[in-house]
Amino acid sequence: MEKRLIKKNTLTGIAGKMADEFKVWAPVKQEENVIFSPLEKNEQPFFAYLNSKNAPKQIFFPHTETLMKYTSTPKGMVFAAEENKADKTVLFGVRPCDAHSFALLDMLFDQEKYKDQYYINKRNNTTVITLACVEPPYATCFCTSVDGEPVDDKGADILITDIGDNYLVEFVTPKGEKLANYFGETKADAAAETKKKEIAEKAKQAIKSKIPAHEIKPILDVNFENPIWATIHGKCLACGTCTWMCPTCHCFDISDEVKGNDGVRIRSWDSCMFPLFTKETSGHNPRTSQKERWRQRVMHKFKYYVDNFNAIACVGCGRCVMSCPVNLDIRKVVEDIAKIK
Amino acid sequence: MQNPYIPYPVEVIKIITEVDTKDIKTFRFKFVNPEDEAKFSYIPGQFGELSIYGKGESPIGIASSPTQKGYVEFTVQKAGVVTSALHEMEEGTLMGLRGPLGNSWPIEYLEGKNIVIVGGGFAFTTLRSLINYMIFEDNRKRFGKITIIYGARNPGLLIYKDELEAWQKRDDLNVNITVDKGDATWKGREGFVPAVCKEVAPSAENAVTVICGPPVMIRFTLPVFFDLGFSKENIITSLEMRMKCGIGKCGRCNVGSKYVCKDGPVFSLAELDKLTKEY
Repeated sequence: MEKRLIKKNTLTGIAGKMADEFKVWAPVKQEENVIFSPLEKNEQPFFAYLNSKNAPKQIFFPHTETLMKYTSTPKGMVFAAEENKADKTVLFGVRPCDAHSFALLDMLFDQEKYKDQYYINKRNNTTVITLACVEPPYATCFCTSVDGEPVDDKGADILITDIGDNYLVEFVTPKGEKLANYFGETKADAAAETKKKEIAEKAKQAIKSKIPAHEIKPILDVNFENPIWATIHGKCLACGTCTWMCPTCHCFDISDEVKGNDGVRIRSWDSCMFPLFTKETSGHNPRTSQKERWRQRVMHKFKYYVDNFNAIACVGCGRCVMSCPVNLDIRKVVEDIAKIK
Repeated sequence: MQNPYIPYPVEVIKIITEVDTKDIKTFRFKFVNPEDEAKFSYIPGQFGELSIYGKGESPIGIASSPTQKGYVEFTVQKAGVVTSALHEMEEGTLMGLRGPLGNSWPIEYLEGKNIVIVGGGFAFTTLRSLINYMIFEDNRKRFGKITIIYGARNPGLLIYKDELEAWQKRDDLNVNITVDKGDATWKGREGFVPAVCKEVAPSAENAVTVICGPPVMIRFTLPVFFDLGFSKENIITSLEMRMKCGIGKCGRCNVGSKYVCKDGPVFSLAELDKLTKEY
């Protein structure tokens, strides 16, 4: 597909122009943090960021979303309307690891038999523009261990790479190509592509944190009862921050809220780290302690997702590592599992 | 395409109190839109999400048989928020139903075989669906001998009493009802389900047993069937887990890589042996 060059000072203007036509989610500064947020009129995106504090999965899978509305009648509460809105959206400047997470979430929400139309509708209406990491932002980044790269178009419709004097803009999908008119007229030459390849290779080499994410799959297959599981969770507070920050965690709760005669059914993020997650009405809980919950978290990401979708459910963004209040580091957990004989 | 999260509107058309303690009732629903009945085309062993707006949803096995037209039935124990609200309902109330969900009893595999149904207490609902499906006029000849062993703690806790009586009168069913302890009026058998299985001793030849009941009953019943020569492929059961979405997305009912809501709830013992024991 087509490739173009744009001047480096034009990115903010392009995002601003897009905001006339689309809802544009872009990184913005909020106090100490950079987060993804819909651009307000004349609001400046902040592209000189490392990565956003929050994973942008919330654009397709919001923290809380209404599934339907209902209303009371003399014969009981009845369904009133499905709530499934999706604005024409551009997600501008997402990092390659987070774009990778969309490709992973698609596997779950867009399965052949059961289609999650809330997720799919937002996904279909959104163009993802990835801003490559020419320098790995954090020492905790480990994307290259989990099928990612710092300069990568997985999950992206458009990939933008800083090649020094200019940005190279690559249209990855037909959906991305539809926005080509925002990116000027300058076609990219062979030199630009060579430069990008050099930069991509250099960025890849700069990722120093490596974990044996693929190697542990056969070990996990046969070590559900290994004593190692009793050694991981000791300091875990069950706060759920790791799952909240994670771009691939997708577990949710469904609940009802009533106000007066009307109500809504909503879904909200939930976490396998919470004791109540699997607790049944009878009081029985198949995962009785944080040991079993941690085992579930590791198994889900590095075994179950691989069994079901042939992909590791981790993109190596390092958010869980950076955000854990007790420094429980999943990279260390994976390394320790790899040592099981 | 049908949004799998949106329930079909249904009306409660009949409520039957099944037990003396009054905390188990069978609810019969009619689809408000007649075309939804065909969309809710189910197989015995599947479940539905009973959906009470303002309260939530509860996954419950389907107790009626698809051979019974015009309605669908669920037998529900009063336990949590949703089931308690359901137990307060009156005939004529409107609510929602999602499904059918999950796999089912393996009907094709059961065809041509002798079937031994073993049920305990309130976990007899999807077995009742299977029995009524198999004894339906057009279906009966597709199955061999049918043996039913069903027990409850006491006579007052047996569910589907009218049907049990009717089944006992049929000459093409071997029906064995038992209670742990009888009362003054009880003339039937006394004894635990595993002991009765041993006594009835159904032949393992060309036979499959379908077992549903409390964990303690299953634990003591399985060795009896091993002794009788049933292979693990021919011992089939159904799992329960906490569920929300029912379609393998919300992430809480997995046992290993399998989601009980989508890949189950029905598993053979051979299949369960391959899964982790986290249920």
